[in-house]
Amino acid sequence: MRRVVEGSHAVSHAVDLARVRVISAYPITPQTHIVERLAELVADGVLDARFIRVESEHSAMAAVIGAASAGVRSFTASSSHGLALMHEMLHWAAGARLPIVMAEVNRAMGPGWNIWADQTDSLSQRDTGWLQFYCEDVQDVIDTILIAYRVAERVSLPVMVVLDAFFLSHTYEPADLPEHADVDEFLPPWEPVEVLDPAEPRAFNQLASPEFYMEFRHKMQQAMDEALAAYPEIDRAFAARFGRTHPLVEHIPAEDGARAPLALVTTGTITSTARAALAELRDRGTPVDLVKLRALRPFPQDEIRRVLGPYGRVAVIDRNLSFGYGGIFAQEIRAALSSLADRPVVYPFVAGLGGRDVTPDTVRAVVDRALDDEPPGDILWAGLKE
Amino acid sequence: MPIDLPPSERMTSGHLACPGCGAAIAMRFVLKGLGDRVVMVIPACCWSIIAGPFPYTALKVPVLHTAFETGGAVASGIRAALDVKGDHETQVVTWAGDGGTFDIGLQSLSGAAERGEDILYVCYDNEAYMNTGVQGSGATPEGAWTTTTPTGSPKATRKKDIMQIMAAHAIPYAATASIAYPEDLVRKVQKAASIRGTKFLHIFATCPTGWKVPSEVSVGLARLAVQTRIFPLYEVEDGERYTINVEPKGYLVDAYFKAQGRFKHLTAEDLERIQERVDHGWSRLEALARIA
Amino acid sequence: MSPVTLRTSRDLPPTSRSLDTMEWNHTGSWRFLRPRYQDKVAPCAEACPAGEDIARVQMLLAQGAFDRAWLRIREENPFPGVCGRVCSHPCEAACNRGEFDAPVSINSLERFVADHARRQGLAPPPAEPADSGRHVAVVGAGPAGLTAAHFLRRAGHDVTVFDAREEPGGLLRYAIPAYRMPAEPLAWETGLVMSGGVRFQPGRRLGEDLGWDELSRFDAVLVAVGHWAPAPLGVDGEDLAVDGLALLEDVRRGRPPEVGGRVAVIGGGNTAVDVARTLLRLGAEPVVYYRRRLRDMPALPGEVAELREEGIEIQTLLAPARIAARDDGGLDLALTPMAVLDEDGGQRPRVVPSGHPEIAVAVSAVVTAIGARPSPGTPAAGLDPDGSEAVALHLRRIRPRGEWAERPPVFLAGDLVNQNRTVVAAIASGKEAAVVIDAALRDRALGDAWSAIRVGRKGAVSLNRLAGGDRAFRLDHVVRYDDLNTIYFQYLERKKRPRITLDERRTGFDEVHLRISASLALSEAERCFHCGQCDHCDNCYLFCPEVSVRRDPRAETRQIDYDYCKGCGVCVVECPRSAMVLEEEPR
Ligand SMILES: Cc1ncc(C[n+]2csc(CCOP(=O)(O)OP(=O)(O)O)c2C)c(N)n1
Ligand code: SF4
Ligand SMILES: [Mg+2]
Repeated sequence: MRRVVEGSHAVSHAVDLARVRVISAYPITPQTHIVERLAELVADGVLDARFIRVESEHSAMAAVIGAASAGVRSFTASSSHGLALMHEMLHWAAGARLPIVMAEVNRAMGPGWNIWADQTDSLSQRDTGWLQFYCEDVQDVIDTILIAYRVAERVSLPVMVVLDAFFLSHTYEPADLPEHADVDEFLPPWEPVEVLDPAEPRAFNQLASPEFYMEFRHKMQQAMDEALAAYPEIDRAFAARFGRTHPLVEHIPAEDGARAPLALVTTGTITSTARAALAELRDRGTPVDLVKLRALRPFPQDEIRRVLGPYGRVAVIDRNLSFGYGGIFAQEIRAALSSLADRPVVYPFVAGLGGRDVTPDTVRAVVDRALDDEPPGDILWAGLKE
Repeated sequence: MPIDLPPSERMTSGHLACPGCGAAIAMRFVLKGLGDRVVMVIPACCWSIIAGPFPYTALKVPVLHTAFETGGAVASGIRAALDVKGDHETQVVTWAGDGGTFDIGLQSLSGAAERGEDILYVCYDNEAYMNTGVQGSGATPEGAWTTTTPTGSPKATRKKDIMQIMAAHAIPYAATASIAYPEDLVRKVQKAASIRGTKFLHIFATCPTGWKVPSEVSVGLARLAVQTRIFPLYEVEDGERYTINVEPKGYLVDAYFKAQGRFKHLTAEDLERIQERVDHGWSRLEALARIA
Repeated sequence: MSPVTLRTSRDLPPTSRSLDTMEWNHTGSWRFLRPRYQDKVAPCAEACPAGEDIARVQMLLAQGAFDRAWLRIREENPFPGVCGRVCSHPCEAACNRGEFDAPVSINSLERFVADHARRQGLAPPPAEPADSGRHVAVVGAGPAGLTAAHFLRRAGHDVTVFDAREEPGGLLRYAIPAYRMPAEPLAWETGLVMSGGVRFQPGRRLGEDLGWDELSRFDAVLVAVGHWAPAPLGVDGEDLAVDGLALLEDVRRGRPPEVGGRVAVIGGGNTAVDVARTLLRLGAEPVVYYRRRLRDMPALPGEVAELREEGIEIQTLLAPARIAARDDGGLDLALTPMAVLDEDGGQRPRVVPSGHPEIAVAVSAVVTAIGARPSPGTPAAGLDPDGSEAVALHLRRIRPRGEWAERPPVFLAGDLVNQNRTVVAAIASGKEAAVVIDAALRDRALGDAWSAIRVGRKGAVSLNRLAGGDRAFRLDHVVRYDDLNTIYFQYLERKKRPRITLDERRTGFDEVHLRISASLALSEAERCFHCGQCDHCDNCYLFCPEVSVRRDPRAETRQIDYDYCKGCGVCVVECPRSAMVLEEEPR
């Protein structure tokens, strides 16, 4: 059913479609619409689930860890400071191999207080063992939530579905809301192997000595590898049922059959801006190919090498910053490409921090800079005041 | 009259508690009171060690080991999951130390209590962070030595009154219990288990290692704490109705303090001051019990 | 139970979870102290001269095992029905419960068990054949003689008891009044001794109907003929007085004297009390005159109290000075007022005439009860002080010198040797005699064995220990009040013995004390702390942090699983009754 939905509500409805049974969340702008709508859905009896109104994000994550450990599909949502507060439990959820899905609305970290879009919050959680999928638009959000559960339950790792503050969370767009029956086919009930069960008493997550800890971590890495390997198949299954595909790396050439001198890599809503700006540039005779990157973890290294390797130049726009180094996606891409003998020059742009608009002009400025004769440097600031 | 406890045994031998550990005794009693429809949550504490490393467990109930401050929240999550599965019978029990309860876990406990989660939260109180080597906690009593309240400057402030805090949440049931009074303890566990809503049990559990006492006095010292009114045994229902369960003999506190290495630096004046506080606390409790 | 083996990464689950319990981990290796079940001596048992295993008996009673309780007592004492009535029960004074609230009514319970046994017609295990080939003569069928005879017979010797009177029992039968020691329970217990294979020859008075030639044919002789001769008053007109013991014997033989009016009873011991109470029952108006104070009276306090309840007057600090006949057939008794000379905390203070004028009382008779002596003709009476030597606490042996050197060994027991002439001391004496004579007949030196068979440090002897029985391994430590964990005990009122009415007491010889009911006995026995005895309360099991105390399915025994016990010692401290010890772990 096609409807005009707000990005946040898209999350809520997807959660309903996924037949999540336990939700636990704590409010933080700009995540509030997600949980408010969920609370309503539960209260109205639309969604047959328990909503746990916890007293902090730390507890929100702890509660869904409890619920998932008891074998029930669980969900939470947060953002920024809330996510940071969850940090310890993000590790715990992943280490406990629980297929929790959370929506994470990218928002800047204080101080000063800033509620606007910025990816540094989620990127700071890179090493917690969570899968992270970044969404471009409302449809992407709906679909990614569904895909996320399927992937999470396949490999027993939690997944973070990331959407930009306001640009996506508070934007209304028409989108296709699938039918329950179809979703049920794509996403059957989770069948956990071992859960907390008085009939079969076991301890979970107890002390793991150096004799075993490393193997458990190795198994987490294997699960990440498996997720990467299984993703295309899951995406195909999704496409077969819903007619939409969401590859981890989406290659959008400016002109069919030709390779432009520059590829621009984007994540999140900046991709939509870039689509429009690049179309205009192409029409004005400057073809730039677009590459939409959807996953931070597992990082699709092979795919990145295959898609970006042949380019002479690659520009990356990061709406995030690892202080003392630079944009985080750019680092990851550079690292992935480093194993190629003949590799493109990477132009690492940092733009749009704390909700600053990344406009078509910003994109054009980025392209100009990436195509000029100046050396690339380690950080290229876009849209920064003099 | 011999002590009469349910025969069931859900704690195994071979666990890793120090000899004479009150926390081990407390666990054994609590499990006796609970029966077999139980899921237990254990945040970081001595019991994270006692229960044994992978791939073992010393408890014959399902246990979710979890992070230090999450006792209330994880239990809430499990409760929710069991409820949506239609299982309203299984008791979800959090088993936390005093640090995980009075301090770092207070928020999540308070949240769960405020929401009225149908869980039983058990705090076994050994009056310090023992797992990490005897550091002072909010439950460490005034005057006590710990590694972070060294003898030169022992803990200057009083033990946090967790029972008042819990009573202030108006939960249906909160009670203190002691390893020295197993029948009272088990009765309270059973009573708690029969009530829907948030139940809180505060169990006094001697730590011979941290308190610098010989292991064999573990239970005796806990008894002395009751008899000196330092740790009275009582229940609070709906945050209001106080009932004193064991009438203490009211021994002077000296015997209790002098028996322990952690208090050996205390002077006669210190003990006098503490005695006054204990007396005051007792009169207050008696007054509350009278109101009820 | 062995640890799980996980060799390869593939064997591991995805993350940390349990595959087995911790029971593979034998924490017993942590132990440097070792708790152990160890029964100890209860203070009551130590205080019982007869060495009765009182705490164990109480435990059996509390469990309702009345029959077994009776057999337990009889292991050490063949006369529970006697002792349950007339014993001075030093056990009760030693009872740890006395420090808590009031001592356990051990004496009433003993009477209860004995009466239970008699009513049920319980039988002791049949005696073994007397196949030692040795023959023992016991002269005197009082408690000492019969006790010795009983245990010697059970030790396999052929035993003959001689007594001057026609029925066995001695003082119990012929002196102690029936309202304290009725004939029937005594006859039942002496009967059990005889039916156990002891021969009895009545009417054989030593020196008259029984000569040394006959005794010399035995392999050993025990003389326990007691004290029957009155001690002289040493005042003018003494021959006008009546001997208290003789009076009591007459009454018990069914030949009560004609008495009436005011009768003076001289003395302060149990015999004086018995005489006075007997006179009351015969219709007289007895008055007891005692030369010291009330509190100095050697009679059992309970007896004195009952005497006073019955309305008998006691006049103290009055010593007889003279007895003179009066024209009306009565007597004039002159009494010298006395004063306490010194009170140095000793047992009985010395008294001297106070200097006040004599008092004269007109009485119908004067009865003396100031102590007894061996009858003329008993060998002990004729022997000089070093004619015999102590061989045990309550036993002497006649020196094998001169004429005695040629004879079989001769031992003296009972009142003949005892300082403290109580029935239970006589029984103790009889037990020692049995132990010593048996050893002598078997040419076995006792030596160290004495200490091994003692119960505590007060001299009582246990035959269970001698026989290496189940109670032989009690630790010699006597459990003191401080050894107990009294928190586990509740205050409980000591049960009073029911009694017949005062009117009934004043007018007849019915037994004053009634038997307590079984339910009363049960609840009184439950008051017993069972000092030093495991009574399966299970504190050790319940408080064990290691779950390492095991019980058999019938919960009759406890065992510590040393595979897991870390030696914390909580069980030892939480044992309410000090029935465990904590020792250094043997390396
Ligand atoms: C967030 C966090 N901070 C600190 C710790 C380290 N830590 C583990 S257990 C513990 C002490 C627990 O004390 P308490 O709750 O009283 O239990 P006890 O060890 O005394 O049984 C501490 C400080 C931790 N695990 N997690
Ligand atoms: S440190 Fe204390 S609480 Fe911890 S296991 Fe040892 S005795 Fe028990
Ligand atoms: Mg603690």
